[in-house]
Amino acid sequence: MATEILMPRLSLTMKEGTVIEWFKKEGDTVEKGEPLVEVLSEKATYDVEAPASGVLRKILAPKGTDVPVAGILGIITAPDEELPEIEVAAAVPRIEVEEAVAVPERKVVERVEERFIASPAAKRLAREHDIDLTQVRGTGPEGRIVEEDVRSLIEEMKVTPRVREVIPLTGIKKTAAERVSLSARTAPQTTLTMEVDMSNAMKLHEKVQVSYTDMLVRAVAKALREHSIINSTLEDEKIKIFADINVGVAVATERGLIVPVIRNADKKTLEEIASVSKELFEKTKQGKLTKEELTGGTFTITNLGMYGVDIFTPIINPPETAILGVGRVVERPVVVDGQIMVRPLMQLSLTFDHRVVDGAPAAEFLQKIKKFLENP
Amino acid sequence: MRQITYRDALREALREEMLRDKTVFILGEDVGRYWHGAFNVTKGLAEEFGDERVRDTPISESAIVGTAAGAAITGMRPVAEIMFGDLSALAMDQIANQAAKLRYMFGGQTKVPVVIRTPFGAGVNIASHHSQSLEAWFMHVSGLKIAMPSSPHDAKGLLKTAIRDDNPVMFFEHKLLYPIEGPVPEEEYTIPFGVADVKREGEDVTVVATLYMVHKALAAAKTLSKEEIDVEVVDPRTLVPLDKGAIINSVKKTGRIVIVTEDCKTGGVSAEIAAMVAEEALDYLDAPVKRVAEPDTPIPFSPPLEQFVIPNEKSIIKAVKEIVY
Amino acid sequence: MRDYRLKLAKEKLIEMHRKMLEIRHFEEKVFELYGQNLVPGTIHLYAGQEAIATGVCANLRKDDYIISTHRGHGHCIAKGAKLDRIMAEILGKKTGYCKGKGGSMHIADFSVGMLGATAVVGAGIPIASGAGLSIKLRGTDQVVACFFGEGASNQGTFHEGINMAAIWALPVVFVCENNLYAMGTRQSKVMLIENIANRAVAYGILGVTADGNDVLAVYEAANEAVKRAREGKGPTLIECKTYRHKGHSRVDPAAYRPKEEVEEWLKKDPVQQFKTKLLEMKILTETEANKIEQDIIAAIEKASKFAIDSPYPTPEEALEDVYA
Repeated sequence: MATEILMPRLSLTMKEGTVIEWFKKEGDTVEKGEPLVEVLSEKATYDVEAPASGVLRKILAPKGTDVPVAGILGIITAPDEELPEIEVAAAVPRIEVEEAVAVPERKVVERVEERFIASPAAKRLAREHDIDLTQVRGTGPEGRIVEEDVRSLIEEMKVTPRVREVIPLTGIKKTAAERVSLSARTAPQTTLTMEVDMSNAMKLHEKVQVSYTDMLVRAVAKALREHSIINSTLEDEKIKIFADINVGVAVATERGLIVPVIRNADKKTLEEIASVSKELFEKTKQGKLTKEELTGGTFTITNLGMYGVDIFTPIINPPETAILGVGRVVERPVVVDGQIMVRPLMQLSLTFDHRVVDGAPAAEFLQKIKKFLENP
Repeated sequence: MRQITYRDALREALREEMLRDKTVFILGEDVGRYWHGAFNVTKGLAEEFGDERVRDTPISESAIVGTAAGAAITGMRPVAEIMFGDLSALAMDQIANQAAKLRYMFGGQTKVPVVIRTPFGAGVNIASHHSQSLEAWFMHVSGLKIAMPSSPHDAKGLLKTAIRDDNPVMFFEHKLLYPIEGPVPEEEYTIPFGVADVKREGEDVTVVATLYMVHKALAAAKTLSKEEIDVEVVDPRTLVPLDKGAIINSVKKTGRIVIVTEDCKTGGVSAEIAAMVAEEALDYLDAPVKRVAEPDTPIPFSPPLEQFVIPNEKSIIKAVKEIVY
Repeated sequence: MRDYRLKLAKEKLIEMHRKMLEIRHFEEKVFELYGQNLVPGTIHLYAGQEAIATGVCANLRKDDYIISTHRGHGHCIAKGAKLDRIMAEILGKKTGYCKGKGGSMHIADFSVGMLGATAVVGAGIPIASGAGLSIKLRGTDQVVACFFGEGASNQGTFHEGINMAAIWALPVVFVCENNLYAMGTRQSKVMLIENIANRAVAYGILGVTADGNDVLAVYEAANEAVKRAREGKGPTLIECKTYRHKGHSRVDPAAYRPKEEVEEWLKKDPVQQFKTKLLEMKILTETEANKIEQDIIAAIEKASKFAIDSPYPTPEEALEDVYA
């Protein structure tokens, strides 16, 4: 019986993945559970396993193809079995995808050539003003660039800054951009800030091998247990409160922002959190995170303290309800019992989805975090 | 200023030149006192100057032109009339190989001051042998000059210049223009060859038109002005020499050109002007060069057929709109 | 030779002899130079027809006009154009009559009334009528002589041009040089009549034939015609029967002509015939005849040298003289 190899859903918001590499060729024997093909989704790569044993009869999505979630990557059949006809029919649209991949270069060249249909007058004006015609949008028939178009650009250029370099949004950057737009578009977000006295946390940090981040994770997890409304997601006009508390910690890498998730952070001790987080951050650096480690987050912490930032307005990591921004720990003068003392202070910035909670419950939640941090 | 007809303007030019210069004389079929010319241009001239100087000829186009050429190289200034432009084909050797070439072939020993007047144009239902516009044939012959007046004012001034020019001049008139009136000064004036006339100034598109098409272009311009398309109409007035500068200057201003002529499109005069513009003003063109001309057919007889092939206001407007956007 | 009604002065006869000899030697020289690759294009030699040009032009004044054809060297010389400048033009030199722009087929010397040679067969006929019209309108007593071949008599221009001269009584003498062949086509193939002079009837004018190899016969016929024209009595068509000594042009060996026919006509060489007659009539002695010939040969040598030594026109001159 033929078995389809499907593109897995690697996260809540994944729409499609890219085929990076097939480990087997058509005709190879495969064993159920054996890694067959590496795919890339949003933040990390993932090895898709063979769903059955048999022969890899057909690869429908070769290297480089984009395939939607639940799309067919390939077909495994029994050794003596023929490719079912239905599958072959289904394979046809995939061939289109193949062709699209095979011909990208030519298409790009054509596009560039098309954009060069310009009237002689336009060309002359462009020459005189040293304008690159690929930057001009043509308004003439069939997109022809006419003199007016070049003239408009010249006028515009007098007031707009010049572009030195163009970096297209692709891969992780593109996904991140889309997610952040989605978040800003759908959830009305407000940020509350609160100051935390880290004296006691500092003392703990010197005594035990835990980082401030670990303490934050634990504090947040505990606070979420008491304010479960924040450990939720709004979907189809329903607030769904999660059963687990999985805290993601945003890490900046060259590839972009990666958020490994510490699962069931509320059920872990501080030491357990520290150990898990250490391992996770190691894997993050090497880009070796698994699907479980990258997904399932219910709340995110993001820290810009190492850059000297105190307060900021982080954007919620969709589809979560809130995100906690962490600033730097810095010694400041404070008034304690009428006296001016120097204490290590840290600013917290909580951005929350105003559709789910109002300011007051959000403030209470934040207060709880502060309490757990000041009394670790 | 007084308004006179195109034909009267021509007659005045002939008469004044014949008074001014005794070597000027007229010959052609039925130009004399019995018919006064197929289009009445020579009316009254035989009566005034005599049958010797306004001479009826047999139906011998070749000899009409040949005789004119022979007289021209021996001290006279003949103005020959060929009744319909189509019939110039009968005199083609004498025009193209003889009159046009004698000066050059003989190393400048002689000059050939002959004017050959003939009307072109369709619109009066006299079909294929009497309605063509053949100026392109002559534009191609080295040694000729070509004048094509579109108004009474231009007709008089250009004909005088033609008669005074020491070279063979093809003077093309238009059947439909003979009765139209226009302002013509009383005083003596001539119009030099090689100087175009901007009949209407405009900013958006240049329309170069000749002969009767000048009027169609002006009508189209009027209609287009209501749609805020500002048309500049340039009348070259002489095809040889051609006022290239005027056309190019206009294209530099507007960036767009439509050439409207009544000859057949392929190999027509508009092709020469279009090539010239592409050669010398390419960098100022913001759109392709457009040509409005007759299709490559003979002129049909039946009115709806004839009207179909003659370029008109609509076809000019259509062409303009194709390049004004 | 027959008797002639006209009594011509001795000087005139010698002059006509000289002219014919001049034309003969000139054409031979051109033939020679062509063989030396000094003549571009091709040449149409007048050898054998000298009596016609000479006989007609002997009746003309300097201010009379002639119009000629591609076979026009003889007419040029007969009308009084200079040998050196004709030769220079044939060689394509700047010093030629037409500055090298015309060549053998288009020589002209307006200063002696030679209004040019046209290479379009028959095209000169209406132009000659035009010159005649000009004379009439100006009221002078000039005359035009128009030379053409029998082939031209089939062109429409023959009909149109002569008719026009006829109806207006223009002072033109139309001289048809019938050498029996238009290029390679014999006269009998292209017309049913034998005497082109008979076509004059169609126009209401007088047509006469003359022995084109007898310079005095030509002279006489032309004399009457010129007189008629000068008196305002209109045009005449003179048909001179003659023969080309050589082919149509330099490249033509004229194999289409029967050998006997050629030999027959060569016996009637016009130059030879007239020389013999003058010797017989004691108008010339052998010595004098020889001297004349030597002088002519020397003059043609001189003309030849002038032409060969002259420079070609500069290339840019090709653009000049299109317009006055």
